[in-house]
Amino acid sequence: MRLPRSFLFTLLLGVGLLLVWFMEARMSSYFLMVAGFVGINIILAVSLNITNGFTGLFSLGHPAFMAVGGYVTAILTFPAMRKAMFLPDLPAWLAGLELPFLPALLFGGAMAVIVALFVGVPVLRLKGHYLAVATIGFLIIVQVLLKNMEGWTRGPLGLSGLPAITNLWWIALFVLTCIVTAWRIKFSSFGRRLQAVRENEMAAKCIGMNLFLTRIQALCVGAFFAGVAGGLWAHLITVITPNSFSLVMAFTIVVMVVVGGSGSITGSVLGATVVTLLTEVFRPMEEQLGLYGMSEVLMSLVLLLILILRPRGLFGTDEPIFLLPDEYRGTWKAKGMKKK
Amino acid sequence: MRMITRCLVALALFLVLAVPAGAEETIKLAGMFNLTGGMSSIDAPALNGAKLAAKLINEQGGVLGKKLEVIGYDTKTDQKACATAAQKAVSDGAVAGLGYGDTTFVNAAAPAFINANLPFVTSGATHPELPKWHGEYFFMVPFGDDDQSFAIADYAANQLGVKNVVVWTDNSMDFTKALSKFFKQRIEELGVNMIYEDFFMMGDKNFSAQIARLKNANPEADAVFIASIPNEAGLTTKQIRESGLDLPIISADGFDTELLVTVPGKKLANDIYFSSHTYREDTRPEVLNFIEEYNKEYGRDPENAFAPLGFDAVGLLADAMERAGSTDGPKLRDALAATRGYEAVTGEISYTRPSRVPVKAVSIISVKNGEYKVEQIWMPEI
Repeated sequence: MRLPRSFLFTLLLGVGLLLVWFMEARMSSYFLMVAGFVGINIILAVSLNITNGFTGLFSLGHPAFMAVGGYVTAILTFPAMRKAMFLPDLPAWLAGLELPFLPALLFGGAMAVIVALFVGVPVLRLKGHYLAVATIGFLIIVQVLLKNMEGWTRGPLGLSGLPAITNLWWIALFVLTCIVTAWRIKFSSFGRRLQAVRENEMAAKCIGMNLFLTRIQALCVGAFFAGVAGGLWAHLITVITPNSFSLVMAFTIVVMVVVGGSGSITGSVLGATVVTLLTEVFRPMEEQLGLYGMSEVLMSLVLLLILILRPRGLFGTDEPIFLLPDEYRGTWKAKGMKKK
Repeated sequence: MRMITRCLVALALFLVLAVPAGAEETIKLAGMFNLTGGMSSIDAPALNGAKLAAKLINEQGGVLGKKLEVIGYDTKTDQKACATAAQKAVSDGAVAGLGYGDTTFVNAAAPAFINANLPFVTSGATHPELPKWHGEYFFMVPFGDDDQSFAIADYAANQLGVKNVVVWTDNSMDFTKALSKFFKQRIEELGVNMIYEDFFMMGDKNFSAQIARLKNANPEADAVFIASIPNEAGLTTKQIRESGLDLPIISADGFDTELLVTVPGKKLANDIYFSSHTYREDTRPEVLNFIEEYNKEYGRDPENAFAPLGFDAVGLLADAMERAGSTDGPKLRDALAATRGYEAVTGEISYTRPSRVPVKAVSIISVKNGEYKVEQIWMPEI
């Protein structure tokens, strides 16, 4: 029996919402925080997948967009009185501004997109490893700027005491938005353009695609969600510092994408969940046995196993067959894959 | 492949569930520390000190008739892990939190405890505005950066007769920037002239540019104040001395490290003065007892001043619990705020100031030919 896709999607949505409601109502604040981070990592992994997986741009600058989005959101939600005390150099119109969460988040995402445009123009001319290194450079530039613009960002001390307004509902909202956006992109002509750029740039150029425009668009979409994720992150931990968003985080997100399968949205969701939960699952063991650092060692082991035994990642570039749109099912048949 | 994932997950779950959940009927203290990652050399000794304190207290019969247990939560020098672990600690039933040697991580972890009306006592973070930011349930074991900067400034001006000083600031850390800010404030009050301020970043390995400028300072510098963390302490001293400059080098507790002598070597580690916690080379019975017990338990001398600070954090909490007669959050908090003259290893702790930064003595320690010596004990005004 093949259920209609719309029914399956509605079912998944319903289950998801029920899960969120259940967790918010019953579980401890620790559980909620971990679940919150799972959600934020899903947003990060899926948005990185749009840039890296669909388009093949190996960008390590995602944490920089998070930092931009996080700081902008934090500055906008900061109570006006504290702004005057902590951030003396803010221009008057900004210092008096105090926005509710949603506009602040969206603004943070928008700023991340603007930064992506600035960065994309010079950097996206590069390819492969050069692009990766250039994005690392961008990440460091953002960090140094944040550390030194003390009047605006409070420098290395960062902003603390942010209102803890992130909860599972906000995160669920953006997880949903991100996944839906990624899904719609993947199975649209825009998505096919992105994948064409990934597969063979020369051929894409030959059929008249504007490479540069396509790549910039991919970077900006990824940057928007990274910025929003940064804002959510900042208000979950209630602290944001320039060192929060480091190269280590960039690689962690890449790991999530690789584990799940570069190019697969379901894979990114799963990869983010597995990687986030793995570190928490081993924590009680660490504490009881006093073997601190165990969880990182074990995670490296898992990653090694996956890279050796299944380098494509859990899902490769595919989605679960029963969720694919009809016109794609035909291709599976043509490839000789078993029908579910 | 799927089988292997399933097996790994099953193994993980099995281990998690099979390991016993922990002793019943103990008073749990959450030791929040970065046991792995960049801050581990500072935090790991602090946890050792904390656990030692709990052990010694339990040998004397525990607190309020129950055993004290310090559970170490490793937050991997990562703020996200700080926030999550703090939440876990609160969910695990800790009656108070303690730990950390740096403001950044305290800021990420303390809110979880404060919001649950549980006290948080930092063992090593020294920013004097911390209690103000976090509210009534936050306490500091060490002195504030303002006190230690004032101490070394006073010593430099009064004892060393410094009239012109050059300031080097590590611009990447809030701790070092705070040290510089307070130092500059004090020397201005004392009428000492700051010739200019130079900058470097944590992780820098070459200071030849700063040293060249130092040599050309006009008027000639009587001393150089270096606001740095332990990593740069040894390097800056070595390079300054190797370049032929023998002017006094002064600093604060970032210089309280073995690296100060091991990196330049004993001959070059000369004419250095820094302010720090009253612990190194101190002869009070609490200090000697602590060093002896630490050796017995861990087989080596305490690595740095953060070990006794961790020890003191637990001791302070236990003392407050006895005075409050309970482990209830608000009562414990009141007892902590009422602490007067608690004889800690790192000095006497009293919370008499409204800022809730303890009024603690500061040691001025000199290094001459690689030998540490306590030159003076400085007390804050209040």
